[in-house]
Amino acid sequence: MSDRQEKMRQSAEKLLRDGEVGYVIGWGATRFCDRTTPVFIDSPEGAASLVWNEHAVNSLAKYLLDDKYPDKKIGLFARGCESRAVNRMIKDNQVKRESLYLIGVPCDGKSSDRCRLCRERNPLVYDVLLWEPEANAAPADRFERVRGVEAMSPDERYRYWGGVYDRCIRCYACRNACPVCSCRECYVDMGRTGFQGKQHSRSDNQIFGVTRAFHVGDRCIECGECERACPMGLPIMGQTQKMLKEINELSGEYECGLDADSDSFLGRFDLDDKDEFM
Amino acid sequence: MSLTEGFEPKIIAFCCNWCTYTGADLAGLNRMKYPENVHVARVPCSGRVNPQFILRAFQKGCDGVMVCGCHPGDCHYSTGNYFTRRRFMLMKRMLEYNGIDPGRFHARWISGSEAAKFRDTVAEVSERLRKLGPNTKYREALREGADAGKGGAGI
Repeated sequence: MSDRQEKMRQSAEKLLRDGEVGYVIGWGATRFCDRTTPVFIDSPEGAASLVWNEHAVNSLAKYLLDDKYPDKKIGLFARGCESRAVNRMIKDNQVKRESLYLIGVPCDGKSSDRCRLCRERNPLVYDVLLWEPEANAAPADRFERVRGVEAMSPDERYRYWGGVYDRCIRCYACRNACPVCSCRECYVDMGRTGFQGKQHSRSDNQIFGVTRAFHVGDRCIECGECERACPMGLPIMGQTQKMLKEINELSGEYECGLDADSDSFLGRFDLDDKDEFM
Repeated sequence: MSLTEGFEPKIIAFCCNWCTYTGADLAGLNRMKYPENVHVARVPCSGRVNPQFILRAFQKGCDGVMVCGCHPGDCHYSTGNYFTRRRFMLMKRMLEYNGIDPGRFHARWISGSEAAKFRDTVAEVSERLRKLGPNTKYREALREGADAGKGGAGI
């Protein structure tokens, strides 16, 4: 473990010393031994504060959206989840591949619950790979939770999601953490358009939940950052995954972020799509 | 008094300007009789309809929502309704997944000459909603006294 951490520090230090990148995004220590925090290292000396352990759970890719036109390349430690996010962002015209330097760090499994669905530990896109790829662990059943909700009656489903969203505090952490939530201005912040009621009520909360899922559902890379960020621990991936499950059933095998060329499901159409609205 | 007694469903129909709206117009010109529960909202293309319009309609008290556009291949803007098709196939499933009865949301292709189809669709949807009763899901909590007995607040 510390060997890998050392490699990461050395690689970041070299990149910064050579002026290859403007800064490196990685993980740093906090005062708690079971937490890490994303850090932005902009000097070679700072590289010593990088940390790699099983608590490095944050997905770093989201921060790329805060600096879309960097003067120099951005160095980013990329695991499977970061690389899928980067692929998605490139396709969505959010970042340019040329402005990134991806330091591939195959993931050895983290302590977060969000990793239970992980299907890709190794970065799919990188400029350098710091160590040998890891074997992918068998992920949990991808749509198990969705099937659980589907098995309920319509009224039970409504009560289930109503109960979930009754606890939502509308902090929008799910939106802030999501690597594919990339609008410059989010519709929930447009207070006067009338799209989204601001009231903290079951109705407004549920509508926020469904709309959020619909906005990102067809581009969701299933990294689980939304659930990790949710301070109320709500099972909100149950919504985005429903979208993915339906897309899988409608148009065949569908997974996002595996490459930077695939259109999102709702961003294209097919003349031969199923037609049930005749 | 039961909730469904004397209940008239409120339906909003998002109609594409080029096909369904013209079709509805033709139904009127031909003096066709269709249920007056339907409120037609004209949109430039069925692709204009944001899934949020549907959620918002339920929230504000509609019992059913229709999205109607040109048949695939006939879109005035060439491809608008292909996007509609994908979008609402998913939206329909999401609504059902969230507990909305499938009878409350309908998408249909109705061309400018299909006045009878417009009439029949509205009649069918209206009849179905009359059986389903008032929509209480996603409904904003009503102020006390307002609309009393006409539907009630959420479950």
